[in-house]
Amino acid sequence: MSPMLIIAKREFRSYFDSPIAYIVICLSFFALGLMFFFLNGGFWQLDRASVSRLFESAPMGLSFLVVPVVTMRLLAEERRSGTLEMLITLPVKDSDVVLGKYLGALGLVLILVLSTLAYPLVMFKFPWNLGPLDGGPVASGYLGMVLFSCAAVAIGLLISALTDSQAVAFFITFFVLGALWLFGDLASKAADYPTFAAVLNYVSFQSRLSNFWRGLVDSPTWSFSLPSPCSR
Amino acid sequence: MATDVMIQANGLTKRFGVVRALDKVNFDVKRGEVVGFLGPNGAGKSTTMRILTCFISPSTGSAKVNGHDVFDNPLEVRKSIGYLPQRAPLYTDMTVWEYLKFAAEIRGLDETAFKKRLKKVVEVCGLAQSLGKDISTLSHGYRQRVGLGQALIHDPPILILDEPTSDLDPNEKAEVLRYIKEIGKDRTILLSTHNLAEVEEACARAIIVSKGRVVADGPLDEIRGKTGRVRYVVAIDEQRAEASNKPPAAAQAQEALERLSGVKSVRELPTDEKAHKFELSGSQDSDIRAEIFRLMVAKGWTLLELRRDAQSLDAVFRDLTRGDEKLDRGAGWAAAEDEEEDDDEDDKPAAATDEDEDEDESEDDEDDEDDKPKGKS
Repeated sequence: MSPMLIIAKREFRSYFDSPIAYIVICLSFFALGLMFFFLNGGFWQLDRASVSRLFESAPMGLSFLVVPVVTMRLLAEERRSGTLEMLITLPVKDSDVVLGKYLGALGLVLILVLSTLAYPLVMFKFPWNLGPLDGGPVASGYLGMVLFSCAAVAIGLLISALTDSQAVAFFITFFVLGALWLFGDLASKAADYPTFAAVLNYVSFQSRLSNFWRGLVDSPTWSFSLPSPCSR
Repeated sequence: MATDVMIQANGLTKRFGVVRALDKVNFDVKRGEVVGFLGPNGAGKSTTMRILTCFISPSTGSAKVNGHDVFDNPLEVRKSIGYLPQRAPLYTDMTVWEYLKFAAEIRGLDETAFKKRLKKVVEVCGLAQSLGKDISTLSHGYRQRVGLGQALIHDPPILILDEPTSDLDPNEKAEVLRYIKEIGKDRTILLSTHNLAEVEEACARAIIVSKGRVVADGPLDEIRGKTGRVRYVVAIDEQRAEASNKPPAAAQAQEALERLSGVKSVRELPTDEKAHKFELSGSQDSDIRAEIFRLMVAKGWTLLELRRDAQSLDAVFRDLTRGDEKLDRGAGWAAAEDEEEDDDEDDKPAAATDEDEDEDESEDDEDDEDDKPKGKS
């Protein structure tokens, strides 16, 4: 096994060795359920065979809570406790460390994202069949969410690499991801300044993802970055 | 340069902002050498080790480990070393076994090799009882053992240990040192410590650094002889004297002692007794106790105490690292024994700091048999 995968495996396991994975998963599902069924009148009032509500609310939860919590420790904790020295001085490339940690954290986030597949499956396939669900937008919506997770975790990892305090990493990630999300709302209010609105729309996760919810997958609109944080 | 030079530091300088943590550090470590790396806190021991393990890069200078440059080929360097950082930072959420397995996997050991090495490592580091325990529940001493185990798991040709015994109890220390001595026969070990007794036990050679510079480098005996002085303690009764003689005043006694041949300096020591107590320093190759005794008899003074201390490594260490600038001698002493190999590099820093040397130091050179005294006049 390559060093990168070994590091990813260790990172992934360490989430489950501590309460963090369980707490994040349980509370996220609880929050998602509340948002899905009750927020803005809830799913039942909408009265439509669609899970687009899921795609609207889940990335927010990811931005504001899950990703910051999952990524804050990645490098910040290693620096603080000094284990980074141990890790870096093993025969691993820096890129192995970064990608390994990235994959480890992404694994946890993707588990969370993919478990929400329970919503469309349980409601529209088995045991209930609430109506004819259009599979296309669901598939593209999930694709969007997976890509969004990739980008958000990358941003979180970058920020975690810049500090040795988990709290600082959490808040900055929270702020950056939150801002990138809310720029979409801001853009719709800035209609008087089309250039400004266009810029906001361009960087906003929300604007980008909304295409995916509608079943529109156009590759040029999606750009996500893999940061390559250095240890120093 | 011979191929059996395993670690070679060449003019390593590291600056952190304006602070110069390392200043032109030069040294070589050959295969089969166990070298103690000594120095007070903040002298640059850990910085040097971090450079050698490619954790940080030097500002200037270069280093080679096992023939690989730390800058150009860090992966190869890391493969050939086992490294225990200071305070043994470990992943506390893993068990000991998981951690060792993790280190072994990253190092590319397969299952059978791992099991074989694990047995040995467990035996040496005394981990049999704690393999299944979470590292977070272990005491500092045990964590240090795990860190050491991690450094040994792939049986590396070079071991770099930053204070490997700092949290161990005396039994553990002895066991680890015994093992270091044992494996040191065909491996290269650089270990840093404050504990000079450990160095005397496990190492044949020491490098002493102070304020980022190498102030002494050589076999322990040579280092002990560095200051080339022996200490005598003399106490003379200040109230009674033989027969009709008068007990001496302090100044009188001091003057008489100073006049003895072979005495380099006399200093009065404070004492509780009704006595004058002096500390004399003489050169190492002579013994002036007899002269002192004869002086007392001739003057009719009462000698209460006479003692000769060989300068211990401890004292040399304190002497060399006292921190005053005049002791910063660059790499002047370095490589007294590696003279054929790297004369040029070592000469430069010594020559540069030459002016700083004072009479205090010039005495030492009398004892330097192999007169490669770097630029000392």
